Amino acid sequence: MTSINRRDFFKFVGAGGAGAGAGYLYAELVKRPQELLVPQVVPPEDYSPGLATWYNTVCNQCSGGCGISVRIREGEAKKIEGNPVHPVNQGRLCALGQSGLNALYNPDRLKTPLRNNNEGRFQGIEWEEAIDELAQKLNESRARRQSDRVQLLTGNIRGHVNGLIGHFMEWVGVASHMQYDFTRPANLYEANQLTFGQSMLPYYDIRNTHYLLSFGADYLGTWLSPVHNSLGYGHLRQGQTEKRGTCIQVEPRMSLSGANADEWLPAVPGSEGSLALGIANVIANGHYTGADQAEWANALTTYTPSNIARLTGISEVDIERIAEEFFTNASLAIAGGAATAGTEGVATHIAVNALNYLAGNIGQKGGVIFNSDPGFAQTSTFEHANYQQMITLAEKMKNNEVDILILHDTNPIFSMPSSSNFQEAMENVPLVVALSGFMDETTAMADLILPTDNYLESWGDDVPEPAVGFSVASISQPVVSRLYDTRSLGDILIDTARMMGTEVSWDSTEAYIQDVWSRIYAQQGGDPSGFDNFWRSALEAGVWGQETASTNQGSTVKPFPVNQLSDVSNKLEGDESEYPFVLHPYLTLTFLDGRGANLPWQQELPDPLTSVVYNSWVELNPGTAVELGVKEGDVLEVTSPSGTIRAPAFIYEAIRPDVVAMPIGQGHEQYGRYAEQRGVNPIDLVVPNFDQRSGALAWAGTRVKILKTGERVLLIKTDGITRTLGRQILGPSEAEHG
Amino acid sequence: MLSVHNRPPKIQAIAKQEFREGVRVNVSVLEALKPLRKSALLGIIGIVGIVVGLKINAAYSTHLKPVQPIEFSHRIHAGENQIECLYCHSSADRSPSAGVPSVAKCVGCHERIATVRDSAEIAKLNAYWQAQEPIPWIKVHDVPDFVHFTHKRHVLAGLECQQCHGPVETMDRIERVADLTMPWCTDCHTLNQTDNGLDCYTCHK
Amino acid sequence: MSVLDTIRKYREAGYYKEFDYHWGMTVDLDRCTGCEACVVACQAENNLPIVGESSFAQRREIKWMRIERYWEGEYPNAKLNFIPMFCQQCDEAPCETACPVFATYHNQDGLNTQIYNRCIGTRTCAVYCPYEVRYFNWFTYTWDEPLERQLNPDVSVREKGVMEKCTFCIQRIRQAKDLAKDDDRRKVRDGEVTPACAQSCPTEALVFGDLNDPESRVSKMANDPRGYQVLEEQNTSPSVVYLQKVHGDEEAI
Repeated sequence: MTSINRRDFFKFVGAGGAGAGAGYLYAELVKRPQELLVPQVVPPEDYSPGLATWYNTVCNQCSGGCGISVRIREGEAKKIEGNPVHPVNQGRLCALGQSGLNALYNPDRLKTPLRNNNEGRFQGIEWEEAIDELAQKLNESRARRQSDRVQLLTGNIRGHVNGLIGHFMEWVGVASHMQYDFTRPANLYEANQLTFGQSMLPYYDIRNTHYLLSFGADYLGTWLSPVHNSLGYGHLRQGQTEKRGTCIQVEPRMSLSGANADEWLPAVPGSEGSLALGIANVIANGHYTGADQAEWANALTTYTPSNIARLTGISEVDIERIAEEFFTNASLAIAGGAATAGTEGVATHIAVNALNYLAGNIGQKGGVIFNSDPGFAQTSTFEHANYQQMITLAEKMKNNEVDILILHDTNPIFSMPSSSNFQEAMENVPLVVALSGFMDETTAMADLILPTDNYLESWGDDVPEPAVGFSVASISQPVVSRLYDTRSLGDILIDTARMMGTEVSWDSTEAYIQDVWSRIYAQQGGDPSGFDNFWRSALEAGVWGQETASTNQGSTVKPFPVNQLSDVSNKLEGDESEYPFVLHPYLTLTFLDGRGANLPWQQELPDPLTSVVYNSWVELNPGTAVELGVKEGDVLEVTSPSGTIRAPAFIYEAIRPDVVAMPIGQGHEQYGRYAEQRGVNPIDLVVPNFDQRSGALAWAGTRVKILKTGERVLLIKTDGITRTLGRQILGPSEAEHG
Repeated sequence: MLSVHNRPPKIQAIAKQEFREGVRVNVSVLEALKPLRKSALLGIIGIVGIVVGLKINAAYSTHLKPVQPIEFSHRIHAGENQIECLYCHSSADRSPSAGVPSVAKCVGCHERIATVRDSAEIAKLNAYWQAQEPIPWIKVHDVPDFVHFTHKRHVLAGLECQQCHGPVETMDRIERVADLTMPWCTDCHTLNQTDNGLDCYTCHK
Repeated sequence: MSVLDTIRKYREAGYYKEFDYHWGMTVDLDRCTGCEACVVACQAENNLPIVGESSFAQRREIKWMRIERYWEGEYPNAKLNFIPMFCQQCDEAPCETACPVFATYHNQDGLNTQIYNRCIGTRTCAVYCPYEVRYFNWFTYTWDEPLERQLNPDVSVREKGVMEKCTFCIQRIRQAKDLAKDDDRRKVRDGEVTPACAQSCPTEALVFGDLNDPESRVSKMANDPRGYQVLEEQNTSPSVVYLQKVHGDEEAI
């Protein structure tokens, strides 16, 4: 037996102790942390732990007006899906709409009222104090009877919240409310007013058309109501029993709709309207048999196929073929995007309307169907501000004619060319109050910031535009309780008016909306005692409408005002010899006009055509790239007569050699961590011209030159090899010629 | 395998001796390990220590039977007063989660029961209610986040609550009796021939 | 022989006592516009991490559903084809043969499973997959507060060292089965399960359902003469049938 000495004894004691300690600690380590089981204090009536509840409301990410259902678990919003009973999107929803959750739970939301301490810093203040300050200034202005020196400038607000704003303007003395939205198709509204006498958008029946001719309108990505258009497109391709619809896209740079079209025609930028009139000429002289045929033939004499072929770069054969196909099929022509964002945007739209008229598409199934008036009383005391009016406003601000500027959810500093000097003009306004959810470029200029609710936290309603052929209204309700100390636009207005001593009969936006709807309900002949049930069911469904056929149909087509046809060649700014390329900025379905740039899911969504993420880029034709010695990732300096920006090159097959394209949306200086200091904003290159008839900015009418800087960056994209290389990926027949 | 060159000198000596004497060679490995005995003992004591440590942890840890913010007794409620489980854990038969009663529900009953209104534990409850704050109960029965467990299917399949939660109606402070490990789950699934009960996707999310 | 028949070739009894379902999807490439609504829908439903710019630069993005682009021709006749690519839930999945710990295997519903807590991160399966639809978590990604509030409680949040991929929204399948059992039905009806991608698709290009059921919408779609399987020559027998795009000069089918 080995003897154990003192030394060994201590060793054993030590080993035992260390082992016990280690064992104890190990047991602690592998234990799952204790979790808490926290009950509700008072549970909401339809709450059940572990079960999801869906609430219906309205999407506010673009102006399409889709109905959405939000999945709520334990009071938190988990997912946004389309509302299956909403006629606009029928349960479907685009990427941007689904990313609305990123806006709700964005870490960079404004959480408390802020005051600018004039050193470029913002300090948190109390709501009372903030509202009091605004009320005081408005009172002063009212006492001086200077309501014309108070300006309300908002983004696109629809529905009856506008009525509340109208009341507010009356109460406190604000003369003007302008809505500015970069994506609003002002030229389309103007052209339809001139040709059809309709200030509302008609319904473009993509679903039932057999031949869709699009002049620059990216109807699958950004044009009017993309989700509704896409539903129509799916049906056009595979849902129609008699024929698979054909899609033709005319645009200098392939958009998402161009990529899906059967034919992509890269016409000379700015000549799209001429091409439309060229096709109209062929129809008027060879196919059209209406009473006003002679008038048409006479008006279109100069637009012969040979002339137009020279002008547009599209061959005579193609023009004549498309004209014939367009006339003989149930067809539809639409226009939008850069094609109608030139100096002759309205004229281009009129030319396209003329095409629809000549082919007999007005009021036809698969054509242009006019919407009847929704019939709801809508107080509209606002006007849609076009670019020209914004410039006028900037002038007024510069000349110290505006004392108070109240902003809400609009970012003109980002979406107007920097040469318009809107930012400098704002500095002259003594009090700028921003009611916004995020610190964007325009909000950052404010003296007082009042944080507003996310659209998933607030009340409102909406009448979708363009409507779907029958009258529909949707109600938007809060689906989650407020995350922060924010208030909705309507509530802030009511609070301010009360602070100023006005008697306001509504306590909140909710009460106002409910009151308006009770009146609509009564107008429609509803029994007053049944309103609560009606309101409940309307909230549950999220949408309310009457599916009656539109009244204004084919038989009552008014003669087309042929005299409205005019010169359609867009003027391009910049001398061709100095600036050899045409700049083609385009809206992306990821960011739209830049409003989506603070959403991480959108930043991480590969661009549908290039697969680039997290950046801006300059698209070049491979031929041009070879000529300039440019490779992908080379940083290029793009210079226009009004500015210079730098961005990496992306070489792209589907763009004209004389065009460079850049996506809009990135290049924010403010707007939260996901957007800031990322990429560039091509709107800054735009020479601020506008369409004379509508006053809309001609953002597609600028020439640029390109300089290789010698710098290179890695252009981050998800695509690898973008050819099938004979692999059987796209199907058996593709492999043969792939 | 010991090579001749590396043999400890003692063993070599013994071997030589035995060869010389012409007797049977008898080399013991144990003999060779003798010098390592103390280290081995040290190791064994260490391991025993670890086991003791684990046991101490288990014995003195409140993990399986934590002290709750209110000394709520299931024995009184479910045992003596015979209140149905589903009265309080009301979503157990229609949701994956059984649910704990809201503070309002607790107060709703206790407001009416005069005999216990002034006891110390009820005072705590009232304090939470006054402050409109939830009671931070400590979770006793918890499965990892990668597991999808649904009360609904188990309750509707006719399982008694006690089968997994033990004799709750006898417990003053709730204690976990089942170990809630995967073999524990699958044993039952196998025994009862549960539909696809052994498919990973049935429970792992 | 239609594509559906070739699919059924591995569906004989023996491997499992009974194949309850054969979940499958059809992708109509003539409807698909490449708008990527499905990509975000998947990200929202399945707790896909926001990986950040640097991870994208290193091709470490995680997108269970992605749109691939294939160009044909050159300017001015350039043509672009979109094809949504996600786990094809192959019957003869190469990934399943590779996993040393059986974290990925084929279950009785025809799903190619991925069990996160079992995965040890050898990444072999991703190498074996010809569709490159398996994604590895190189880091434990986090969400900037309060973005984590959006996370779907029905789906695990994966951490560093775990492989992940499309599950055909197993949580939705599980829920539909649960509701079917409430009605005393053993099987779910056609249309009761829709994965997030198919639910969101604005052109209704994606159709999901049970290929075992000849009456289901997906079976009927899969029988379309335009049907084919991607990389059919690999003999992986995918459960996803693509319907080839129709080109302008061909007549509608």
